[in-house]
Amino acid sequence: MTQQQTISQPAATLPSRRQWLGSFGMGLGGLALAEMLGSTAQAASTPGVLKTLHHAPKAKRVIYLFQSGGPSQLDLFDHKPLLLERTGQQLPDSVRGGQRLTGMSGNQSSIPLVGSPFRFTQHGESGAWVSDLLPHTAGVADRLCFVKTMFTESINHGPGVTFMQSGSQIPGRPSIGAWLDYGLGRETDDLPAFVVLITKNKGGQPLQSHLWGAGFLPSRHQAVRFRSGAEPVLYVNNPPGVSAESRRRMLNGLRQLHEHQFAGTPDAEIAARIANYEMAFRMQASVPEATDFSDEPQHVLDRYGPDAKDAGSFAANCLLARRLAERGVRFIQLYHQGWDHHGGIKGGLKRQCQETDQPAAALVQDLADRGMLDETLVVWGGEFGRTNYCQGLYRPGADFGRDHHPRCFTSWMAGGGIKPGVSWGETCEYGYNVARDGVHVHDFHATLLHLLGIDHERLTYKFQGRRYRLTDVHGHVVEGILAS
Amino acid sequence: MGFSRLRTRRMCRLACCGAVLGIVVAVPLALARTPAPAPQPEKISFNEHIRPILSENCFACHGPDSGNREAGLRLDRAAAATAELDSGMRAIVPQEVAESELIARIISDDPDSVMPPPWAKIGRLSAEQVGLLKQWIREGAAYEPHWAFVAPTKPDPGPEGVHPIDAIVTKQLGLRDLTLQPEADRATLIRRASFDLTGLPPTPAEVESFVADPSADAYDLLLDRLLASPRYGERMAADWMDLARYSDSYGFQVDRPRPTMWPWRDWVIDAFNQNLPWDQFAVWQLAGDLLPGASDEQILATAFNRLHQQENEGGSVEEEYRVAYINDRVTTFGTAFLGLTLECCRCHDHKFDPLAQKEFYSLFAFFDDVDEAGLYSYFTPATPTPKLRLLDRAMQTRLAQAEEAVGEAATELVTAETAARAKVKAWLAGKATRPDALAAAIEARLPGELVRYAFDQRRKDGKFASLLDPPPADSTAKPVAGEEAGDSKKNEKEPDKEIKPADHAASSPGDNTLVAGHSGQAIRLTGDHPVKTPVGNFRRSEPFSVSLWLQVPEAYDRAVVFHRSRAWTDAGSRGYELLIDKGHLRWSLVHFWPGDAVSVRVTEPLPTGEWVQVAVSSDGSGRAAGLKVFVNGHPAATEVVRDNLTREITGGGGDTITIGERMRDHGLKDGLVDDFRVFDRALSLLEVRDCFAPGSLAEALAAGRDAEAIGDYLATALDDDVADKRQALEDTRRARDDLAEKPPEIMVMRELAEPKQAYVLNRGDYDKRGEPVGPATPAVLPPFPSDQPRNRLGLARWLIDPDHPLLARVTVNRFWQALFGQGLVRSAEDLGSQATRPEYPELLDLLAWKFSHPKAEGGFGWDVKALLKFIMTSRVYRQQSIADARTMADDPLNSWLARGPRHRLPAEMIRDGLLAACGLLVEKQGGPPVKPYDLADSFKPEKAGSGESLYRRSLYTYWRRSGPAPVLEAFDMPNRVVCVAKRDTTNTPLHAFVLFNGPQFVEAARVLAETLLAEQAGDADAAVVEGFYRLTSRRPDEEEQQILSRMVADQRTWYGAHPDEATKLLAIGQRPRNEQLPEVETAALAAVLSGLLAHDESVVKQ
Repeated sequence: MTQQQTISQPAATLPSRRQWLGSFGMGLGGLALAEMLGSTAQAASTPGVLKTLHHAPKAKRVIYLFQSGGPSQLDLFDHKPLLLERTGQQLPDSVRGGQRLTGMSGNQSSIPLVGSPFRFTQHGESGAWVSDLLPHTAGVADRLCFVKTMFTESINHGPGVTFMQSGSQIPGRPSIGAWLDYGLGRETDDLPAFVVLITKNKGGQPLQSHLWGAGFLPSRHQAVRFRSGAEPVLYVNNPPGVSAESRRRMLNGLRQLHEHQFAGTPDAEIAARIANYEMAFRMQASVPEATDFSDEPQHVLDRYGPDAKDAGSFAANCLLARRLAERGVRFIQLYHQGWDHHGGIKGGLKRQCQETDQPAAALVQDLADRGMLDETLVVWGGEFGRTNYCQGLYRPGADFGRDHHPRCFTSWMAGGGIKPGVSWGETCEYGYNVARDGVHVHDFHATLLHLLGIDHERLTYKFQGRRYRLTDVHGHVVEGILAS
Repeated sequence: MGFSRLRTRRMCRLACCGAVLGIVVAVPLALARTPAPAPQPEKISFNEHIRPILSENCFACHGPDSGNREAGLRLDRAAAATAELDSGMRAIVPQEVAESELIARIISDDPDSVMPPPWAKIGRLSAEQVGLLKQWIREGAAYEPHWAFVAPTKPDPGPEGVHPIDAIVTKQLGLRDLTLQPEADRATLIRRASFDLTGLPPTPAEVESFVADPSADAYDLLLDRLLASPRYGERMAADWMDLARYSDSYGFQVDRPRPTMWPWRDWVIDAFNQNLPWDQFAVWQLAGDLLPGASDEQILATAFNRLHQQENEGGSVEEEYRVAYINDRVTTFGTAFLGLTLECCRCHDHKFDPLAQKEFYSLFAFFDDVDEAGLYSYFTPATPTPKLRLLDRAMQTRLAQAEEAVGEAATELVTAETAARAKVKAWLAGKATRPDALAAAIEARLPGELVRYAFDQRRKDGKFASLLDPPPADSTAKPVAGEEAGDSKKNEKEPDKEIKPADHAASSPGDNTLVAGHSGQAIRLTGDHPVKTPVGNFRRSEPFSVSLWLQVPEAYDRAVVFHRSRAWTDAGSRGYELLIDKGHLRWSLVHFWPGDAVSVRVTEPLPTGEWVQVAVSSDGSGRAAGLKVFVNGHPAATEVVRDNLTREITGGGGDTITIGERMRDHGLKDGLVDDFRVFDRALSLLEVRDCFAPGSLAEALAAGRDAEAIGDYLATALDDDVADKRQALEDTRRARDDLAEKPPEIMVMRELAEPKQAYVLNRGDYDKRGEPVGPATPAVLPPFPSDQPRNRLGLARWLIDPDHPLLARVTVNRFWQALFGQGLVRSAEDLGSQATRPEYPELLDLLAWKFSHPKAEGGFGWDVKALLKFIMTSRVYRQQSIADARTMADDPLNSWLARGPRHRLPAEMIRDGLLAACGLLVEKQGGPPVKPYDLADSFKPEKAGSGESLYRRSLYTYWRRSGPAPVLEAFDMPNRVVCVAKRDTTNTPLHAFVLFNGPQFVEAARVLAETLLAEQAGDADAAVVEGFYRLTSRRPDEEEQQILSRMVADQRTWYGAHPDEATKLLAIGQRPRNEQLPEVETAALAAVLSGLLAHDESVVKQ
């Protein structure tokens, strides 16, 4: 706290960006020139490549609550009474339809169906089915759009998460947030446009930095990952023995050196470097400010639940996501691991839901109360779903597991131009196949971009001789879930 | 509906090939400003003026991809473009603009006929482009092959006394009314050359001596000195490691460390330092294993092809990843050696370059002939095959000695066995009495039997007793605690401890039921439930046998009869296994499947629907010849599947024999097993027969007819002398095997004796095999030499032909990029039709021709150092890096070369250069990777090292793909997931955090402050000036000196008021501080130097 105050004081006495640029005869025009000249400067409120949006946007920003591991849609959202009746019976070949299975259950000699051990009830005016593992989510059901028919192509986590985050199963493509940073630029001078938050101390399928990487886009578009510890951004804090004031003095001198150099060496890179060092200084104040919850009233903390003050918990990250959204961060990507229930689904799923249910619902409600939900798209979902059959041995009454299932799974979206209080699409009575209105990963991406005012076919980047898009060569906007 | 669907499909197709957008939206800002247009051409050149327009706007639908060609029109070939179409029109009528439908369409205002069509979202062609097309048609519409596919011709020598590079550039600059800049001053020049050739800045002494040297050849000598420095190899290797996607971890999801790839990195450094000619550099890496009499070094070089990511995520499909690896090899080959974007043709014909999908898989066929698995082992640290054992001289000697001892022991065993057989022969011939051992044997059970399960009944505890165990004293005994899963888990870890003495019962869940068997009951297996025994953790040197009765309902494609292993793919099958493989029994000992194993398959299929007695044995030799399979008491004819076991078969878990089921494998569904017996010896034929027909052994002995078999039995089972000798042999083998476990191994290429069949994979899907294809090179490139083998070696030799149009161009372009920050072709990864057109094609061709042609013909004979020196002695290289403001604004990327290079240093050079300037760099070449401070802050944190490992060159930093070193990552080092030919050079606020606050650099500034303050006798003003010099190789001018003094004074005031803060600042870093120096003064200087570390001139090469 005290540190924050000592930082913000000299920051307040800083010359404005216009002033200091003007002070060495450069001015904003000069900096714009620098950018035009092809410098890779990431100065204040950098515009994206899209000079104008392709159509009026519904959402300004996205908070994506990624549930890594593959949450079981059949135990959370996709109510299938038939499975309870047929528990223990074999999955009919006609339903499976030659679908490839993973190497885990693919060699099982039997694949017995298993119904959900959790109770499903309908909620809100919309009558959405939600299991009793998610009471808080059920409580905001009328604000959500449940997409019951997401489907993907991967049957394993690595390619699955990579696909969901970058539109390709093979690492190397830009992530969604990187595309947005590239296309839309940034709204704020003081914070990165693309931030990643990961729930701490979670096991499960590992995450990798390429998931929020820039792929072949310039690397400045990759996310800045906020850490849960004392240093939310790598080396953002001054080292011991350096204060904001002594740093400011040093920077003043360094700036004079650079101005002097720039006078004799008119390289735009030098100007960009000055701008970046100044932005870094501002971030040293703005990052701690954004991550400090001490100005949050108790009732807000209570809404996010008991973990809200435990930095790095899912609850704290949801609250931090809201704070970053308020401060102009464009894409806030949360990750919560641990949904990979090959076994022990009864206990394991319950635990996962306890960690995530209240904070996710609180985020939606909090945004709504602040009038931000209309322009903030919130997404909840994983990389695939789980099978309607039991992985490994089935014993009546005993705990069990479900294998990966790419053919259908549920995500929900809220706010930002999404129609509230609906369930989109329908799966077959076995919960195995899409019965109608499937939403492919590429469709999801196309819709997300659409909500932000982007035609997914027109945000492209040329690399290795071809133009790439987030949606590769596919994708259709899911018109049916757009708010009118 | 139908219409809109059609439309969408076409849009998708178009977008894929990318010709979708006008340039303004599609390209980054950097490219949005077009340099001043070139003068209007007098005569149109197809390659220069027309191909870019057609490629960008038309080829996607009217180009090389036959699968998606619209209206039958193809515009990339003259004959097709001028032919009459189905519609009766002709797209291009040479010399007749008015009759050329192409022109009519592009200028049409009718949305239904205008080209490119509006739905393609490309926009209209510009008036200038239309003008060029018209002029081209008027002039006869002449086509040219794409420039990069035509070999460069021998260049003109150019004017006497002028460097050929300067001649070309000066001429072109003259057309723009420009000239080269003056030569950079000497301090700048030595700094530029030092970074370019060694990756490190010059020392102050080096700068001074160079500045002071008036001789004409001083610069020449400087280059020679730098090229001869061992640092040269380290600097050049760094770029190659990006292309080779070098990493110390496997990548993908789990990204486990792979600790032994670094010897390849050291080979690269050495190859550059030895100046291995580039053609050999390519051949060794692509096909060193195939060179006649290949040395270990040449084989080691092929690790290049194995540096791609590898997967071990549980449940992944093995073939899917095997194909992914080969794809990666092919595309890396394409990018690094051909400068072609081959990956486009994985799914369809290339949209822009004349490369067919089939040709991709023809290249694939060169790279798939290795004995590899698609997944590496999760449960064991086995090095994926094929691999090379890295032996030092001492280990070579010790292994040879150990092998010799095995040979001697084997000879002695043969002698003893011969003696034993002689005893039997003598007895049966009536020349001697019956050997005593045989007499005893008739009543005794078969020696060495460990367990025997009849599966006639379950005990009360649910288990199956071994018939060899004595019945329990108290038959009402309670079940042993920890039944079932819990129990078996313990067994896996400590197989013997949990077993009560003399209780060798096997456990199985009740799902495996008892049914009528071969004798009494047998167990019927579900395929998902194991029968677990407590025995069988044999090493490869230990002989053993297993006998069982088996009945299978069908000819399984694959089923596990029994095994000792943890898992199939997840453990590389480590252990041993009896499988049914496409209906045949297959018996194997495995370190890592498939490349490190012995395996034999029975020639005859296994009968179905009837009881069969099967016995298998291993004689401890670890060779395929030592594996035997018997069916119904007869030796079965087998074929060798694998015969290359080099390491141990124990470890990895699953230490005891399991019947009928294996993790993620196909179990013995509905199979029956009866009378399962395990022996710790290799059984003789008579004994196997006795397992098949009990009592037959006694009969055979009594009959005394078959001297051969009885002799064999005596020698194998009973004779004490033979037993001693066999034990001695086993001991020597065990000693040799222990030794063989020690040397590290590295993944390399090793060609299979029988090539694998490659296929076109439809849509690129691993499981959608199309037409079979053999190894071949793309038709658009030179023909494959008829005298070369159709394998990687032939491919490499095809590549290094001096007249190959691509290899030399791609390579010299990257070296140019290393020096100038941009290649002559900016898209270093793509020289195909979509490549950025070089401003100086004749310069590229000059360098390429000279690089690839022999010295006798006036070339460099692939001599990299000669090439670099040639470029660096040009005025183009030596000129100042700043031009007048207008030229800089008109040519921001410096494509015209009207000034020297100026760009931010690559990540390694920033860190290494600052460490060197601060006196902290530890120069030690090669060895395992090290972990500097920032590894502790990576996404996958690692404990930082200590001592010198903190200060080694960045090339040696431990590189984990999923959590790269943050300092290097911040400065755009690629994560090395895929081949990268060109790095970004970003400029972001995060750089400030790293340089100002990262412990590596805070410490470096402090150490530099201490050094300078001590040198300058405590005069901080003098010290900061000297510090500026060390960091930038330039003395600050007067104004800068004043600023520096003020900075020091500022910090002095602050630390004077906060002396405790000075103490804290100076405490950062492992390097001990100099306690002699005053804290406030030192801290003040350190704080200023910390800023200078981030000064533009500290991190920029100019």
